[in-house]
Amino acid sequence: MTGSTMAPLAPVQQRGRQALERLGLPNRGQEDWRLTNLKRLETLARLPLAKAPSDIPLPLAPDAGLRLVLDGVHDPLDGVSLPNGLSPLPTAELQQALGHTLDRCGCAEAWPVELNHASSQHVLALRVRGEAPPLELVMAGGAGLTSTRVLLLVEEKATLELLQVCLSEGASAQSHVLEVHLGQEAQLRHGLLAAADGEASFLAHLAVEQEPRSSYQLTSVVQGWSLGRIEPRVLQVDGQALTKLQGLAVTDGEQQLATHSSVRFDGPEGELDQMQKCLAAGRSHVIFNGAIQVPRQAQRTNAAQLSRNLLLSERARVDTKPELEIVADDVRCAHGATVSQLQEDELFYLRSRGISATDAAALLLRGACLDVINQLPGLADRWQPLNRVMQGLSR
Amino acid sequence: MIRPDAELLLDITDLHAAVEDQPILKGVNLQVRAGEVHAVMGRNGSGKSTLSKVLAGHPAYRVTGGSVRYRGDDLLELEPEQRARLGVFLGFQYPVEIPGVSNLEFLRVATNTRRVAQGQEELDTFEFEDHVRERLKVVQMDPAFLERSVNEGFSGGEKKRNEILQMALLEPVMAILDETDSGLDIDALRVVAAGVNQLAGDHNATVLITHYQRLLDEITPDFVHVMAAGRILRTGGRELAQELEQTGYDWVDQELAVQGVA
Amino acid sequence: MTSSSTRDLVSQPYKYGFVTEIETEKIAKGLSEDVVRLISTKKGEPEFLLDFRLRAFRHWLTLSEPDWAALGYPRIDYQDIVYYAAPKQQEKKASLDEVDPKLLETFDKLGIPLSEQKRLSNVAVDAVFDSVSIATTYKEKLAEHGVVFCSFTEAVQEHPDLIERYLGSVVPSGDNYFAALNSAVFSDGSFVYIPKGVECPMELSTYFRINSGDTGQFERTLIVAEEGASVSYLEGCTAPMFDTNQLHAAVVELVALDDASIKYSTVQNWYAGDENGKGGIYNFVTKRGQCRGARSRISWTQVETGSAITWKYPSCVLQGADSVGEFYSVALTNNRQQADTGTKMVHLGPRTRSTIVSKGISAGSSSNSYRGLVQMGSLAKGARNYSQCDSMLIGDQAAANTYPYIRSQQPQAAIEHEASTCRISEDQLFYLQSRGIGFEEAVSMMVSGFCRDVFNQLPMEFAAEADKLLALKLEGSVG
Repeated sequence: MTGSTMAPLAPVQQRGRQALERLGLPNRGQEDWRLTNLKRLETLARLPLAKAPSDIPLPLAPDAGLRLVLDGVHDPLDGVSLPNGLSPLPTAELQQALGHTLDRCGCAEAWPVELNHASSQHVLALRVRGEAPPLELVMAGGAGLTSTRVLLLVEEKATLELLQVCLSEGASAQSHVLEVHLGQEAQLRHGLLAAADGEASFLAHLAVEQEPRSSYQLTSVVQGWSLGRIEPRVLQVDGQALTKLQGLAVTDGEQQLATHSSVRFDGPEGELDQMQKCLAAGRSHVIFNGAIQVPRQAQRTNAAQLSRNLLLSERARVDTKPELEIVADDVRCAHGATVSQLQEDELFYLRSRGISATDAAALLLRGACLDVINQLPGLADRWQPLNRVMQGLSR
Repeated sequence: MIRPDAELLLDITDLHAAVEDQPILKGVNLQVRAGEVHAVMGRNGSGKSTLSKVLAGHPAYRVTGGSVRYRGDDLLELEPEQRARLGVFLGFQYPVEIPGVSNLEFLRVATNTRRVAQGQEELDTFEFEDHVRERLKVVQMDPAFLERSVNEGFSGGEKKRNEILQMALLEPVMAILDETDSGLDIDALRVVAAGVNQLAGDHNATVLITHYQRLLDEITPDFVHVMAAGRILRTGGRELAQELEQTGYDWVDQELAVQGVA
Repeated sequence: MTSSSTRDLVSQPYKYGFVTEIETEKIAKGLSEDVVRLISTKKGEPEFLLDFRLRAFRHWLTLSEPDWAALGYPRIDYQDIVYYAAPKQQEKKASLDEVDPKLLETFDKLGIPLSEQKRLSNVAVDAVFDSVSIATTYKEKLAEHGVVFCSFTEAVQEHPDLIERYLGSVVPSGDNYFAALNSAVFSDGSFVYIPKGVECPMELSTYFRINSGDTGQFERTLIVAEEGASVSYLEGCTAPMFDTNQLHAAVVELVALDDASIKYSTVQNWYAGDENGKGGIYNFVTKRGQCRGARSRISWTQVETGSAITWKYPSCVLQGADSVGEFYSVALTNNRQQADTGTKMVHLGPRTRSTIVSKGISAGSSSNSYRGLVQMGSLAKGARNYSQCDSMLIGDQAAANTYPYIRSQQPQAAIEHEASTCRISEDQLFYLQSRGIGFEEAVSMMVSGFCRDVFNQLPMEFAAEADKLLALKLEGSVG
């Protein structure tokens, strides 16, 4: 029995193709796509499916933990024996669960999701029990469009550390859809490191359902995509859960990178701590859109969102838009946004200690990035996230 | 210690400076020789802090006239980091917090640039750790501070100790300490003052910018200058500070009025 | 919370809800090119103005009603509205004594006495009743200083050159759906012109009164402050209580040249509909100021309490170097009111600065959205914005939404935005009550404390009034 199988995907593919035809490409009239470089999206949509895995060199697999490679072509579980705590989802259950979280999070019919539906050939579906070993998912497709799909059912009280690494080069694109269901008191520490060379594109939906007293901590470090769009969608189904979202989005050259997050509390006493950092250099464009919904039943919600943006060049652009919708009176919701260049007084302080202006700026940039990078799961160290980001900025 | 033949470190002549077109310094004259400790006193808004910022090269302050020579060279031509590498040190009144930048890394980079400028070898990570732990004793600081971001979440006293720690690491020739005593309780003040005293020697000099006498109880100045309206109004020995403590600054207004400045 | 103090305390009735019985001249319902021409003819307008109207009307036909705001209301039937209504009286009177006493009485009842004996001592008032201005006080005194303050109709006749130069220069006739509609059918409004170097010697105020039940009000205000001039202007509005909804689609344009300053305050108290959402004004307003000159300043202060629907974003285009834009807003919604309001600060010039302070209070089953844009253009070096958007929720049926868009293309510009949500906590109420303060007063104290930053911006005569107005509107909503 394998958790990755063609059978349940056939109808999904069918529906996805029909939906794409019906929807057509997103257009400027749609608020969510108003700022998107649609030409690049069109190019992405026309890419043929990747036929072979990429040849990007990878660091050694982790000693303590399991690495699975998702290349869109092969079954990621082929020849893999799963350690204790991780097991493939039986077909019947997979059929039932697939798409459920997307539905609940209200993004089942989003264009990038339909694109993934239409093009994914495998789904990695795992059940997580107890204290599972760290899991590393490497998503590295070859030339063309690589579509990958993952479904994780993290059972009650289970804990998992998950690192997703997505690498691409050249005229390629990655479409990724992740669905996670966190049972009561389950804990998921989730890292996403997605880095490219400025030419490839990346569309990712991360849909997460949280049962009460679960904890979900996402740290995303995304850099170097010609067109990037990361969409974390979190639903606290009954409140009382903890969500922590930390993002670092870095752009340079002509890149465009958008983060569209949404968090909804469908019950009381939920907690959100969100920090999105965006650094834009060159002629790039970085976008953040952060929706928080606190409906009537979500009393005593405590949500904080911060959007910090650094504009590093005269030609870079930043758009940021928090969206707070609150219909409960006993809540604490705060959000803040700043846009600036590096702080003059910080630069001066460093220079007054003998550090050159260039080094001081680099030091401050590293500091700005490290805040987020340090929160990645331990597995990420081998991928040298800071170096990747700093290299991306100096390319 | 006053030695008339000691090297002239700092020579400020008729210095004028402005912030956003607002003139603040209006003709400051001051000479500092090696081995000396100077205190610059005065009320808020007298220009004391501006003087320190100008000497360190803060970009928001524009020099509109006069000159500053440091060991014979034009100080005003230099970038802030060049000044620091040559041994000019400003202890900030309000040290900024820099989230994300580790204090240890910052101290190491700064120390090494200064060392290179002095013709010394750079210290590698391990050597530096030993070095900095040694210097931590000067300010009785907990090594845990090294692991935190620069000044982030430090109390007022901790920030000031961090400033003196940097001074101990950079071994400046000309240290200018801007209101180092403000916001410190008496114990912290003693620690900081002891640090300053320990670092003072024949080949360097210190300018203390302060509002109160109490720092001068701990660090004995050779000269006391009183600033007002952007100039040094009066210069004397340590007894001038004591006089100020007793009579306050009211006489300053009278004197300014006499000179037609106020 | 104590039950005696809860929502069963009945809301104070809207005290301006009366109708004045006066013979009115109305044109037939409906909108067409002929109606546009008819309005223009009735007002004896010059050619350029008719052209302006017709261009706007033709453009309007190509537009569709905006649907992006967080507002829900039944479709407006634009053919079921009267576009021109005026109380029957002869030519505008030379003296106030000749104005129909019923009209004077109406404004008396609204607290805006117009007659020489009773008029406010240091505020000049232009009183607009349905589609026309009926009187303007202190015109002569203002004229001594070269200040023009008159109805728009009068300005078209007496200062056509100024109107032609500035009308539509800030809000073009085709700017948006409602601005285009206004440009086609606007009937009256106020015109203010402050010449070079003049500091307007008194507060100027226009008071808008909707009286007819089926009439739309489409007024147009234009304020021009020349180099070094300054003026403070206040707008007030009320309407009778009808079961039907009335449409109000105004346009306000402000122009500030070098070193000029315009302070524009609004205390909006249209009828909000009843507690079930029946009746009330649909308020779709386009307000924009252009800081055209260097070091100019435009400040918007608004206290929005009254409409059933509010769609309003008083904005500043900061074009001149070192110009300053400000927006201070209190928006209160209760019962089934819906407000989608905020501002746009468009920084074009170097070192331009803007401040946004928005306080939204949502009670009952209402919905209150802040929607704002702060934009730093590529030439806005050294520009700064600070925004603060706070929401206060009263009861668990009300919605508070915040949509602050931020866009920057200039690294040397700094934007800082902060927002928070709070409610009146039982602890705070208890603390005040335990010091002997009554429940309603305690609520009112906290609400007015919450709004303090904005009320401080209002002209003194009106700050206290705004405070009272808010307390009134909120009565019975806490519990």
